[in-house]
This record gives sequence, C-alpha cells and structure tokens, in this order.
Amino acid sequence: MTDQNTSVGSTLTVQRVRSGLARRYRLERWFRRFGMMAVALGLSFVLVLFASIGSNGISAFHQGYVRLDITLDEKTLDPAGSRDPEVIGKASYRTLVRDTLFDQFPEVTSRSDKRELTGLLSNGADFMVRDQVMENPGLVGTTHSFWVPVDDEIDMLMKGYIDRNVPEADRRVSDRMIGWVDQLEKGGYLESRFNTLFFTNGDSRDAELAGVRGALAGSMLTLVVTLLLSFPIGVATAVYLEEMAPKNRITDFIEVNINNLAAVPSIVFGLLGLAVFINFFGMPRSAPLVGGLVLTLMTLPTIIIASRAALKAVPPSIRQAALAVGASPLQTITHHVLPLALPGMLTGTIIGMAQALGETAPLLMIGMIAFIVDVPQTVTDPSTVLPVQIFLWADAPERAFVEKTSAAIMVLLGFLALMNIVAVLLRKRFETRW
Amino acid sequence: MKTDKLQQAGNSSVETESKKTKTTVPGPGSKRTVGNIKAADPVMSATDVNVYYGDKQAIRNISLEIGKNEVVAMIGPSGCGKSTFLRCFNRMNDTIEICRVEGDIRLDNEDIYGKDMDVVLLRARVGMVFQKPNPFPKSIYENVAYGPRIHGLTANRTELDEVVQTSLEKAGLWEEVKDRLDQPGTGLSGGQQQRLCIARAIAVSPDVILMDEPCSALDPIATARIEDLIDELRKNYAIAIVTHSMQQAARVSQRTAYFHMGELIEVGATEQVFTNPRTKLTEDYITGRFG
Repeated sequence: MTDQNTSVGSTLTVQRVRSGLARRYRLERWFRRFGMMAVALGLSFVLVLFASIGSNGISAFHQGYVRLDITLDEKTLDPAGSRDPEVIGKASYRTLVRDTLFDQFPEVTSRSDKRELTGLLSNGADFMVRDQVMENPGLVGTTHSFWVPVDDEIDMLMKGYIDRNVPEADRRVSDRMIGWVDQLEKGGYLESRFNTLFFTNGDSRDAELAGVRGALAGSMLTLVVTLLLSFPIGVATAVYLEEMAPKNRITDFIEVNINNLAAVPSIVFGLLGLAVFINFFGMPRSAPLVGGLVLTLMTLPTIIIASRAALKAVPPSIRQAALAVGASPLQTITHHVLPLALPGMLTGTIIGMAQALGETAPLLMIGMIAFIVDVPQTVTDPSTVLPVQIFLWADAPERAFVEKTSAAIMVLLGFLALMNIVAVLLRKRFETRW
Repeated sequence: MKTDKLQQAGNSSVETESKKTKTTVPGPGSKRTVGNIKAADPVMSATDVNVYYGDKQAIRNISLEIGKNEVVAMIGPSGCGKSTFLRCFNRMNDTIEICRVEGDIRLDNEDIYGKDMDVVLLRARVGMVFQKPNPFPKSIYENVAYGPRIHGLTANRTELDEVVQTSLEKAGLWEEVKDRLDQPGTGLSGGQQQRLCIARAIAVSPDVILMDEPCSALDPIATARIEDLIDELRKNYAIAIVTHSMQQAARVSQRTAYFHMGELIEVGATEQVFTNPRTKLTEDYITGRFG
C-alpha cells in the first residue's frame, strides 16, 4: 500500500494491459464481423423467401377473362315482360353463354368438340352472367358484352406456365384449344384483368374461382374470439398471480404449469378442443368459435408470461407511492400499475396473436380443414382459416393452385403486418414515460 | 474492520447495561432504552413493537411516541431497523409478505393493527414520503389531486383545484410549477419531485407525515429547501423522519431517537442527544466513530 509499491505495480500493470490490448480488440472485431454476418444471413433468407413467394404469387392477382357478346333475348329470359327477378333468375344462362361461344366458332359442330370448346370457359361463367343481369334487369332485350373468367388451364396457358412445345399428350391443353385461344386473342376477346374474385370468393374446386375471402373471414372471426378471451383472461391471471396471490405452494405449482403449457405442442391443444369443446360441450365442428377457444388455450401462457414480466418491470416505488396516499390495492393496480404495464402486455399479446394467426395443427383437429365454399358470417358458421387454406391449396393437384398458394401466403403476411402495425400504434398510445 | 465494529458494539452494549441502572426508564419499552419516549402531545404511540422478517427479528421491543407539532428524527447505522420501524406507523410493512409486526401502535388511541382499523383510512391519515422521489408518471396536477380524488375529499373541480394549490404552496412548489401543472411530474428536478411527493402526501391532510430519508437522493441546496419545508410543516403535522445525516437530524428535529441493531438505544431532546449523549453507543455514532 506504500507509494513505492504502487509505482512498481503500475508500470507492471501498464505493461501487462498493453500486451493484452491487441488481442482484446481483435476479439471484438471478430465478434462484430460475426454479428454482421449473422444479420446478413438472416436478411438474405428473408429476402429469398419473399422473392420466391412474390414471384410465384404475383400472377395470381390477375386472371384471364374472355369477352362474350351475349344477346339477352327477351323471349327466352322474360317471356312475360314482367322483369320479375325470380323469372329472370330462372332462365338458362348456361345455354346462352354456350351458344354465344358456339356462334363465335361456327366450324365446331360435333358434340364432343363443343364440349371441348366450352372447356375454355370457367364453370362459373354462366352464374356470373346471371348475377350481372339480375343486378341490372335493363340489359334484357339488348346485346351486352360480358367479361367472364377463362378456365384455370387456359389462364395458365395465357400466363405462359404451359409450354406449347411439349408434345400434346403431355400437356393439359390440346392443340385445338390453343388454336381457339389464339384466335380469340387475335380478335381482342381475351384480356388479363385484376383478379377481384380472389378477394371476394370463398374456396372453390375451380382454381379460377377460388378466393381467400372465406379463409380471411374465418381467420378474423377466430382471432376476434381468441383476442376477446385470451387478453382479459391472460391479464387478469397475470395481475392476480403477480400482485395479489400469496406466495405458497399452490401458486408455485400454478406458475410451473403455466410455464410448461407454453411448451406444449399445439396439436395437443387441438385434441383437447376436440374432446372438450366438441365432444363434451357439443359445439359445432369447423367453427371459428371452437378454433378461437383452442387458440385461446394456446396463446394464454404466452400472454400470461409476458404480462407478468411487464408487471414485474413496473418500479415498486410507484406501488408504494399509491399505497402510501391510501389507494386500495385494486386502485393501485388499475390506476398506476396496469397503465405502466400495458405496453409490455400488448407486446405479449401481439406475439400470441401472431402465433395464433399462423397456427394450423390444432385447427385440423377440430375440423377447420374442411372444404368450405361459403364465407362465414358468424362464429358458429363452418369456416377455415388462412394457414389451413394455404395448406389445402398447396395440396391441390391443379397447376393454377401453385400461384394461389403463394398469393394466399402474401395475404396472410399482409394481414399479420396490418395486425402488428395496429398493435404497435396502440402500444405507442398507451406508452407513458417515467 | 468488521470484527472491530462488532467488538465495539459488544463492548459498548455492556457499558449501556451498566449505565441503564443509573437512569430510570419511564413507561414500557425496551429495557435498554435510555431517555424519555414520551411526547408532549402524542398523536401516535408505539408500545413494545417487535418486527420479524421471517425468522429474523428486525425490531426488538421498541416503544416511541410521535407528538403533535414536533419532528422526531430517527438516526442510526444502516440496517438498524429505523426504516422498518417507521413503516410500521402506516402499515407499509403489510406489503412485505414475510414481515410480521407485533406490539401495539396507536393513532389517537386507536389500535392501527386492530380489527376496526382500515388500512386505507390509516394511510389517508398517516402520509409517507420516500427515500427516492416517486411521483406518478402523470401530470403535476394529477399527482397532487390523486389522493383527494380517490378519497372523495372534494366535491367539485374548484375545490380540488384549491386543494392542489394549497398543497403545492405548503410544499413550496407552487411558484415554480403554477404555469405547467399539466406537465409530467417526472419531468421536474429531483428536489422538485421530492417536494411534489410531499405536496401529494399533505393533499389528503394527514395527521402524521412519515419521511424515510427524504433528502438522501438530493443535492445540498434541494436538501436545505426540504429541511425548511419540514420545519414549516411542523406547525400543522406530526412528523417522523428517518435520516442518515446527523446534521439534518440536529437541524430539523426536536427529539432524536438513536437506533442500533433493532433496538432503540436512546431518545431525548435533540440538543441533549447531540451535545450530551447518555450512552456510549450514541456517543460513538454521533462522533463518527462508527456507522
């Protein structure tokens, strides 16, 4: 401790520190480089993923349409001239649409050739013409140009996914059909248009008519149920466990169980939902209500754990301050602790909801994998959800579903991004700085 | 170093024992306590208080009164239990699960640990100011208005405005913040924050104010302001203050209690305790030999 010792010690210290400095800085540089490489690798994976989804899916947002100049003869559609929607709706639009197409190709005469020619059109063409006429009865008695979607194989041909050089037997579109398509195209009867059907239709076996509306509505309903249940229950549980519950064996046991639940494979929750909600309580199958309940079970641990962490992060001095002016424990929590913990709780909820949005496995167990064409209106209607829809389309044999799959993934990611933006904005609003 | 201190403590306790025989201890309380625990006009009185943290005893048989219009300073080395004892008076120890309080503490002759005493009401009557300024992350106005609002002390906004103004005036903060009442209380300086906390405590018009080292996080100028304030507040409230600064205790208090290892060693008029301590332990502490 004497002066002499210190001076000797300090020269020695300087020497030793200096000799080790180069190594320390080298390590730091290495670590920096390693970190940057990791970030670059992660980013490149994300970019490759996005590029692949984008390049595959972008073509699903437009669709080939063919123009049919249909003469809406009053005698066949509305012989009485009443313009009664019921009468107009009952007419055979199928014949109308076909005859218009046959008129365009007078050389096609035999039955089987005619059948092949109708194969150019989507199965939904006649319904779409009917809907338009019903909407606008004034069209009856005139000749009107209708744009109806072409069959998905023709759409693939128009988009260039079908190679014309491949031998005829190996491709799904015959040479004759290619000839008709070219002829139509030359006459200006074919057009590529924005695919609104993709956003307004439910699922369909015909790729050109299949849309994500049903799955999107199903996902929204399911998530609404999940959010309405899991957020209040999760927050209440976290507040009780963190702020009110006595620390004893029972609460310890509960805590361990909650942490374990977060690690349970999600399909187990699906089985539980099947056994409890559907078999025991007799709730409907394939319903967003049951899906929401199952996903609530799955997201609860995430929300509880995040909320407890957020509550722990509130400085105890705030609680003491509130208690010391005579606030009751509940007032302390609702007036001071919760507002400060809310941003953290919202973060946990975002993570939980994002997880729930992307979840497929537990929903398979409760029947949300069914083929459902109608767009669900309430939480008890049968429906499917976006990830399950993606799974179903990825499994479909038609070439056209490849792009639909990617497009549905884009819709799912867009939905996720939108949800997160809303949550981040909400969190910003509630954030208080201290 | 540590063993020295322990030895010293051991030695001096023997001496205190011998001194105790000379001075008569009036009333109940620890047999070791030297001096008069009584206040002239008591508002709160603690009798034979024991506090345990789990198995560990933090307070041993302490009796002390807090009187009207006076400041009682509690001094002593770190970990001697003075803060724990202070927190018994508004039952803040209730929030610590393993903490157990025994003994009798009365506010206006009402047992505060009794069945009829509501802890919310108690804390409305016994305010507290903490070591670190802890304003709510809300506006200055809301900070002061919070207490009166939850207790329903004011009938309308005008009355509430009045309470906020008088509280801030009493806390000596009004002139500095009157133009920015809507700004966050956390944006004030440390000293201003602490005065805001005092304003918050007096806004509910308590009978007693407990202060737990209110100036330990403040610079000397802010400290001086708070000390002036405490002297001013004495006119209306009974005040108990825990402090590490003996100068502060000497400046603001009328009576001083010296705590050592969970026991109340000596109580007396501040002047007497600092100029003529009756026990060796007190003398060692105030002369800076340990602590």
